Amino acid sequence: MADLREPVYLENKLAEVRDSGRLDYRSKSLPTWCPGCGYFSVAEGVTKALNDLHIANKDVTVVSGIGCASRFPFFTDTYGFHTLHGRTLPVATGIKVANDDLTVIVVGGDGDAFAIGGGHIPHAARRNVDITYLLFDNGIYGLTKGQTSPTSVHGFKTGTSPFENQDQPLNPLMMLLSYGSSWVGQAYAGEPHHLADMIAKAVTHRGFSYLHILSPCVTFDKTSMTYSNLNMMVRDLPENHDTSDMMAAMKEAATVDHPALGVFYEEARPTLADGFDEIIRRAQGRAAGPAAVAAE
Amino acid sequence: MNNTDFQIAICGSAGDGTIAAGDVMKRAMARAGFKVIAFDIYPPEIRGFGKCIARIRVTTEQVYSLKHHSDILVSLNDSHAIPHVPEVGRYGAVIYDQSAIAAVAEGEHISGHVQPDHLPYSLPLREISEQTTGSARSRNIVVLGYVAGLYDLPKDAFHDIIQEKFGRKAASIVESNIKAFEAGYALGADTFKLDFIQVGKPADKVNGNQVVMMTGNAAVVRGSLDAGLDAYFGYPITPATSIMEMLATELPKRGGRLLQTEDEIAALAATVGAGYAGARAATATSGPGLALMVEMLGLGVMAEVPSVIFVSQRGGPSTGMPTKTEQSDLHLAVFGGAGDCQRIVMAPTNVEGAYRCAGKAFEMAEKYQTPVIVLLDLYLSNRYETVILPKVNPFEPDSSKGRSASDPNKPYQRFAATDDHISPRAVPGEDGAIHTVTGLEHNELGRPNDQPDNHVRMSDKRHLKLQQALSHPGITIHKRFGDEGPVDVGILGWGSTFGEILEAMFLAREEGIRCSAMKAVMLSPLPVEPIKAFFDDCGAVLVPELNYEGQFANLVMSQIGRPVTRLNRVPGVPMKVSDILDEIRMLAERNRAVAAE
Ligand SMILES: Cc1ncc(C[n+]2csc(CCOP(=O)(O)OP(=O)(O)O)c2C)c(N)n1
Ligand code: SF4
Ligand SMILES: [Mg+2]
Repeated sequence: MADLREPVYLENKLAEVRDSGRLDYRSKSLPTWCPGCGYFSVAEGVTKALNDLHIANKDVTVVSGIGCASRFPFFTDTYGFHTLHGRTLPVATGIKVANDDLTVIVVGGDGDAFAIGGGHIPHAARRNVDITYLLFDNGIYGLTKGQTSPTSVHGFKTGTSPFENQDQPLNPLMMLLSYGSSWVGQAYAGEPHHLADMIAKAVTHRGFSYLHILSPCVTFDKTSMTYSNLNMMVRDLPENHDTSDMMAAMKEAATVDHPALGVFYEEARPTLADGFDEIIRRAQGRAAGPAAVAAE
Repeated sequence: MNNTDFQIAICGSAGDGTIAAGDVMKRAMARAGFKVIAFDIYPPEIRGFGKCIARIRVTTEQVYSLKHHSDILVSLNDSHAIPHVPEVGRYGAVIYDQSAIAAVAEGEHISGHVQPDHLPYSLPLREISEQTTGSARSRNIVVLGYVAGLYDLPKDAFHDIIQEKFGRKAASIVESNIKAFEAGYALGADTFKLDFIQVGKPADKVNGNQVVMMTGNAAVVRGSLDAGLDAYFGYPITPATSIMEMLATELPKRGGRLLQTEDEIAALAATVGAGYAGARAATATSGPGLALMVEMLGLGVMAEVPSVIFVSQRGGPSTGMPTKTEQSDLHLAVFGGAGDCQRIVMAPTNVEGAYRCAGKAFEMAEKYQTPVIVLLDLYLSNRYETVILPKVNPFEPDSSKGRSASDPNKPYQRFAATDDHISPRAVPGEDGAIHTVTGLEHNELGRPNDQPDNHVRMSDKRHLKLQQALSHPGITIHKRFGDEGPVDVGILGWGSTFGEILEAMFLAREEGIRCSAMKAVMLSPLPVEPIKAFFDDCGAVLVPELNYEGQFANLVMSQIGRPVTRLNRVPGVPMKVSDILDEIRMLAERNRAVAAE
């Protein structure tokens, strides 16, 4: 938390933001999200990370599905593809197959990812497509005005579960770890500085990076994933957490009552594009390259 | 004209080398310079001893369908071949193994089923095979030799093909097969030929162009590669799988990339993603896969992203009949999707057309910024034809209206209004053209916009731009054959059935019926004016197709507004030429009766 003993003046803060160059990554369209929605933090985090990493706007493509979260590409001054509900990852895969030089950021909600799009996640992860997947988890369907989602807690009451949700929520972090995601992390919209850092790390990772972002839907969820609840629940990963230890990562991911923030797991391995290079080399009868050696 | 036109059907079980014999036959005939069309039918079981039939029609000029009657039936297994004896025409030949006759019960030997107007040739196949090679396994090659000897077919071509086909195995295998062939040939050459089958000389070689024999799916692969395919995404499904398997070998040789996706939704999604990023990308599937793709097809239409989708139809609905042919995905291909989402749909009628449509599909997808569906069916995907490939690559490597076509002094608008309704397209990575595309209705900038005037304007744009595909250069999208001017009967067809339609039309003309046939290769947008002109000339219009509902007839009637006579069959195999011919006769008679009144 910021040190509040020193007064913060609005114009100083504005000047700081303006001078940083971050605004160059914002589009002229103002976000249409509800005031207070956690997604604003993600938008800030993405523009800050891209600015800090000096990635040219023209080389970034943001791919989204359908949902409140998926309105995201309209608010960044980058290339963008607002696709279909649940189909972000295969579209992003196609983009990377066509042009591996692009920085591709995929955004979407919990419903977009784990309900309708659930079948695509393991495959993008295991192929190690070099993209960053920012998952905006508000535990609810926001855009359709509040229904249960695959990450809604047991007992959650919504328009489609008036007698309380009887299903267990998924554990996305454990899923992604077992799917073979080569970078897995978690952040919280209520901690925007940490979130921006994590986004930068995820984008920097070469390979498939999955960042799970806990983000309150202030309009339709008054009881479950609220700022006050999450503020009390979240914790940092232990300082000595070893990010190369899959079992340790799994163990941390299993503690859902107190979600841990930070990098759970990371691993360097050949990407989808490396695999293509290898196939092309073999088809053309040339000697094996470093990718094959690394993979063996 | 055709001084040679004979059709041979080789029938046996999977273990008899039936398909292999047919393969040697068709390749040898093509090598000798004849034109060939061939279609094998084999059992749906992956392995086993079900019935196989290889049918090959050999001609001087290229034809596009098999004949309803075969001239020669070769039996490698009598119980399988007996039901096919009636398919042999008058004074045609039935060739079979004599050795089994003593051992079988009455009625189980084919000799008891040969009709009075057939010429039977009974030969000691098993004995010759055993004597020359030490095993009965070469019966299929012995009988090929016999056919070659009997009809004086060019021996060298057979030798070459046997060498090529078995050369990768041991040299001894080539040797024993040649021996088997020669023994059969000697017997055939010694046999007094009683049937009416005549074999002439092949046509002269077409100067410079390549004559090759290939399947419809191989033609799709060749066309795609010639058009500069960059990326392919697919999920296996009969009868489209072989497209993906051939590309898996060929594409990386040229530096291209192929990915087996988790399902068809992902296959088209990735194709659209790659198209958005500027690649020439494609996928191939069958009806069930296309059903999964239609939502993504709508995104391609709305976001104006190029993609090419090859669809090889099989029997439906649902999983249907995976190894049977049908033309019942036309409604899905033309209309499938949410909202008004017209796309380009082309259906080639033969293997050469499959090559053209495949290559042109990439040009069109890029030029008109749209999904393009190329609709084939199992019959066209799997059948072999000799085709003439052009000497120079006929496809444009880049047909995109790029960003340079837009006014550099104005901010870039991805969906800018233009005279031809096609907006200059920039792709990610380009400077000064940053934009977002979306499946939401949007304005010229690509920003979501659901205002009434905007939706009207954009709907216009998306539909009007496609009309230009009707005059796309270098491809025939409709063509009329047969009698010119007014005719009693017109036959309007699409897809692979057009081969049978042509065959029936020519037979009807020989009977003195004034008729002509028109093929529609482009089904969306439909070439309405030429079809109307055709209707103007025809006393009656017949629409034969392999589906139950009359899907093309529905399409034509809704857009032309005139009645047609439907001819619908769903046997899972190609339509019978005789069924079409009967219908033409009936319509011609009716038309003459009306005229006489
Ligand atoms: C095929 C399809 N089915 C349903 C919808 C309706 N729909 C739009 S967004 C959405 C759920 C969004 O929830 P989530 O992905 O969690 O995103 P959020 O709005 O919470 O950010 C649904 C069901 C759709 N657009 N497309
Ligand atoms: S509905 Fe919820 S998720 Fe959507 S913008 Fe509003 S607060 Fe955010
Ligand atoms: Mg949600």
